[in-house]
Amino acid sequence: MSKDRYSRQSFLGGNAEELISRCTIAVPGLGGGGSHIVQQLAHIGFQRYVLYDFDVVEESNLNRLVGANLTDALAETPKLHLAKKMIYGLQPNATVRGFACKWQEKPEPLRECQIVVGCVDSYKGREELEIACRRYLMHYIDIGMDVHGKERPVIGGQVVQSSHGGLCMRCMGFLTDEKLAAEAARYGDAGHRPQVIWPNGVLASTAVGLAVDLITNWTRNSRSHAYLAYDGNQGTLKESLTLRNLAIKACPHFRDCEVGDPVFVEL
Amino acid sequence: MKVQIKLTGALHADIIRDLARPHPFAAERVGFVFGRAGSLTDHGRLILLTRYHSIPDDQYVEDHTVGARIGSEALTWAMQAVYHGRPAREGIFHLHLHGHYGETGMSATDRREIPRLIPGFQSVGRDAVHGIIILSADHGSGWVWPQSGTEPIHADCVSVIGAPVGVFDRGRAK
Repeated sequence: MSKDRYSRQSFLGGNAEELISRCTIAVPGLGGGGSHIVQQLAHIGFQRYVLYDFDVVEESNLNRLVGANLTDALAETPKLHLAKKMIYGLQPNATVRGFACKWQEKPEPLRECQIVVGCVDSYKGREELEIACRRYLMHYIDIGMDVHGKERPVIGGQVVQSSHGGLCMRCMGFLTDEKLAAEAARYGDAGHRPQVIWPNGVLASTAVGLAVDLITNWTRNSRSHAYLAYDGNQGTLKESLTLRNLAIKACPHFRDCEVGDPVFVEL
Repeated sequence: MKVQIKLTGALHADIIRDLARPHPFAAERVGFVFGRAGSLTDHGRLILLTRYHSIPDDQYVEDHTVGARIGSEALTWAMQAVYHGRPAREGIFHLHLHGHYGETGMSATDRREIPRLIPGFQSVGRDAVHGIIILSADHGSGWVWPQSGTEPIHADCVSVIGAPVGVFDRGRAK
């Protein structure tokens, strides 16, 4: 491969290519958001992947699933297969560990990662991923979008980074008991949630940017956390007002010693 | 068996800062770091480092045949800490710094001296995993003794989860 391959991203640092290639990154959820993420990671030069998705391509995915075509919908191609195809097409020497299940059914490979980019649908799913990331020392980056209202639809979304030593998703006001309770009350009545490709693209690109910055620190920001709120109607992505006005500076929800497999202590 | 070691960027910075300080008479510093275990596929072990213990200056013993030698007070403290960490199965790792860049390994002195500490740690914390970690200026290596094991396993990777992320693979220089 020519040395020119990464010449346009050399501003990331002289050893960025090496640093990126050594990082193991997980993407649980390879739908509208995850497919963008995987594509960009492969372009940038990531070589080590842990992927989770049990779903197959359906016709209703074709409005937003990057890499999918009509044949995939007809053949019900696994989304995992699409992701692998995208990665190997750009990085033939990549190590891709793919699992056609929920990450909770096969959590051990996830623990080997340094960064997890969660592309899951539910608040509960996000909470579980963040807990796993805190317990097994991984940076967690979350993306998600939603469309509210029918008369005048409003597109909203977020990119959140939760890292050890920084504020967690509860501290940042993104995860709340009210949201989790409301979601639990709607269980079984979710229906088809509106999803379109461009907000996913914005959010996924931003998440990949955060991941690359965590690895290379090219911005010198050394972020310990981030909460960026997307307004799809205005076309803006800004630091969340909740986070900007937050009084707490340290996370009370996760303690440094609460890592590793839980241990049951006999009383 | 696959073994990986992880620590946060903040802990890594604390360790480097402490170990890089000159000692009144020892040529280098050593320390202890504690770790809890997580399970990986195929019975692999993930060691998650939690906290660092800096050894006070007066607990070193003057011995110019080695870079640093710690006395019985420091070792007794370490044994007690392992004992008190038993409910959480918290293991202890002897830690020091090699000042060069790139991957590092145990010197002949390291191989001769440090593993002798492990049976003592195993005797008081038999359900925990103990070992040795050596950091360099931009890399790190670890050796882990599984429960009651006599031979160490060289860790495949030491990761620093900070900003920037550090991934120090075994057998792959920086």
